[in-house]
Amino acid sequence: MRSYPVLALALGLAAMPALAADRWQIQHPDSRLGFEATQQGGQFEGHFADYSAQMRFSADDLANSGFDVRIDMTSVDTGSGQRDNALPDKPWFHTEVFPEARYVTREIRRTDDGYEAVGDLTIRDNTHEVILPFTWQVDGDTAMMDGSVVIDRTRFGVGQGEWQDPQVAGHDVEVIVDLTLDRVAD
Amino acid sequence: MMQIRNSSSRWGAGAQLLHWLMALGIATAMGLGWVMVNLPMGALKFQLYAVHKSLGITLLALVMLRLVWRWLNTTPPLPGQLPRHERWLAHGAHRALYALMLLMPLSGYVINSAANFPLNVFGLVQIPNLTPESEALGEWASRIHLALFWGFVLVLAGHIGGALRHHFILRDDILRRMLPGRSPR
Repeated sequence: MRSYPVLALALGLAAMPALAADRWQIQHPDSRLGFEATQQGGQFEGHFADYSAQMRFSADDLANSGFDVRIDMTSVDTGSGQRDNALPDKPWFHTEVFPEARYVTREIRRTDDGYEAVGDLTIRDNTHEVILPFTWQVDGDTAMMDGSVVIDRTRFGVGQGEWQDPQVAGHDVEVIVDLTLDRVAD
Repeated sequence: MMQIRNSSSRWGAGAQLLHWLMALGIATAMGLGWVMVNLPMGALKFQLYAVHKSLGITLLALVMLRLVWRWLNTTPPLPGQLPRHERWLAHGAHRALYALMLLMPLSGYVINSAANFPLNVFGLVQIPNLTPESEALGEWASRIHLALFWGFVLVLAGHIGGALRHHFILRDDILRRMLPGRSPR
């Protein structure tokens, strides 16, 4: 019995990436997790007000860098009451059953323009690999992360039945990540 | 060859084109509007809404062009033998039609703006919204849009009825001067 806490600690440590890459905390007032989508062929923007992430990133230790992002789907805000009332409903996010979306990276790679995160995005009960290209600029203890990726909403079951029609709402949704982060001491 | 500009006896090709193009557009927009609001929620409903909105904005642009064209041109006067009250009725109806042609699409544009829905005209160009998002404003604009619809039906009935009466009963050239073809006497 006595060894249990030790074992738990050991397992806990093993589950986390090695502690080499820096830990970062999102500065919410200066950050935005947004998206661009189309409705009846017209473009609109939205964002999620509530999201959190565990983030580790060091340019010189990508092997131990990684993100685990949780998004509160009920916090969607597209600036239109009619849309925002519909989005939590069953054909769209179905927040009653799936209140949260999650993105967990498996790998961070360097690219010509910066980096890309290879991870699994889960919306509703659908999980698919999403590769998010991004830039990461560090200024002292602050970092700016900018990235965007186009996903097909119907792969994630967002907009079911009649709403699958691309003329009602386009299938492509551009997810835009614009974060300001503070380095956190381990 | 019909001349482009109006003369003192008839409407030119420019005014005629605008008149009949808008007549077709208005009839289509009114028909679409009536059908789409009565459809159950679904893809077809949204497609019709998109066409209706695009058409409305196109008609708004056309009526402004038409007002400019009318202002740049001479207006063929009504026949001299027309009784005073009919003259007054015709002028009133034409003014009402211009007001309706402006206010109908404008009130629709406000409904869409107040819902903060995007508006892309026939998939060609996205136009900005007129108002901030407001549920109350949207409801008011909807009521006005519907009231204007019935106003439009009423005035159009008079306009079309009047034109047909002139053509078939009074047998004058009022309708013919808005039609392409041979010049009236």
